[in-house]
Amino acid sequence: MKHLIVMPAFNEEEALPGTLAGLAALPADFDILIVNDGSADRTGTVAEALAASRPNVHVVHLPVNSGIGVAVQTGYRFAAERGEYRYVIQFDADGQHDAAAIEPLVEWCECYGLDLCVGSRFLASARVGFQSTSARRVGIRFFARLIGLLSGVRVTDPTSGLRCAGPRAWKRFARIYPDDYPEPESLFWCARNGLNVGEVPVVMHERQGGTSSIYRFRAAYYMLKVTMSILFDRVRAREGRAI
Amino acid sequence: MMNAELLMMLGGAVAFSLTTYWVRRRELREKYAVGWMVMASLLLAIGFFPDVLTSAAQFAHLSYPAAVLFVALTVMYIFSFAVSVTLTHHYRRAVRLTQELALMEERLRRMERLLRLDRAKQ
Repeated sequence: MKHLIVMPAFNEEEALPGTLAGLAALPADFDILIVNDGSADRTGTVAEALAASRPNVHVVHLPVNSGIGVAVQTGYRFAAERGEYRYVIQFDADGQHDAAAIEPLVEWCECYGLDLCVGSRFLASARVGFQSTSARRVGIRFFARLIGLLSGVRVTDPTSGLRCAGPRAWKRFARIYPDDYPEPESLFWCARNGLNVGEVPVVMHERQGGTSSIYRFRAAYYMLKVTMSILFDRVRAREGRAI
Repeated sequence: MMNAELLMMLGGAVAFSLTTYWVRRRELREKYAVGWMVMASLLLAIGFFPDVLTSAAQFAHLSYPAAVLFVALTVMYIFSFAVSVTLTHHYRRAVRLTQELALMEERLRRMERLLRLDRAKQ
């Protein structure tokens, strides 16, 4: 069975060619889906041009900017519609992620029967490369503690956008997925509902283009929104293993 | 001279006109207009018959301004909450439609490409 790499892209015309070039060495059983999230720049045109020469690259254009959660969920829905993928890997278009991490993510899922495997910058063996700003690291540590406390599962990089989802996780995500800042919340959902969650050490780079959506006051909103979402999810009934 | 009764009558008339105007333009659904029409009717009725308000206030022990403010805030809270729930509902539908549209467009492009390749082979 093939695997799908979902690449949400919002105003990433500069970084997209480089990011896609980095994925060229992957085996043929990896398809790539670029989800153009209503970009205002030439991301859509660039993506189409890149896809024209590579049959394993697909492009979906969301007509309006809908946010990272909706863009990634479109990828999960694409996988559900096609029905030919085993693992769905989320991979940022801005060049932060290392293509070399994709195969280990899938291998760990296969070897350890993981439903969600997250690429972590903070595992002991991965403490190289871009480690994010100190303020963000405080936030990441807070979410890691919160998730650990409420689910009993230890994680180190809950905001990482480099992750591999197995069928049990992504089929559920295709139905229900958080709208914005989805990573910590979806990870918590998996941990709490008995899905197997793990982490693999990865190296990340600084973004090669575009701008982060989390800045200034948004950072405060981000912390509050994600914390609330996790707490709300904690008081929901468990969905159990029959997903 | 403007007094409270006159203000309520005026408010009721304006609320009626606004609601009718927006419903006529199809910018406000009749479903939501019902609540606003009830509010406008209440304002008008109280403007015409102010004693009704006095009796109702006495009946409900709303004899001091803070209590009236509390009731008004509760009504506003209920209306705003209903609007938030409706917005969430519509947001979910809009997201679903946006995704479906994008996926259908991708499928259409893929089929057109296959068709072109097929024609080229023939």
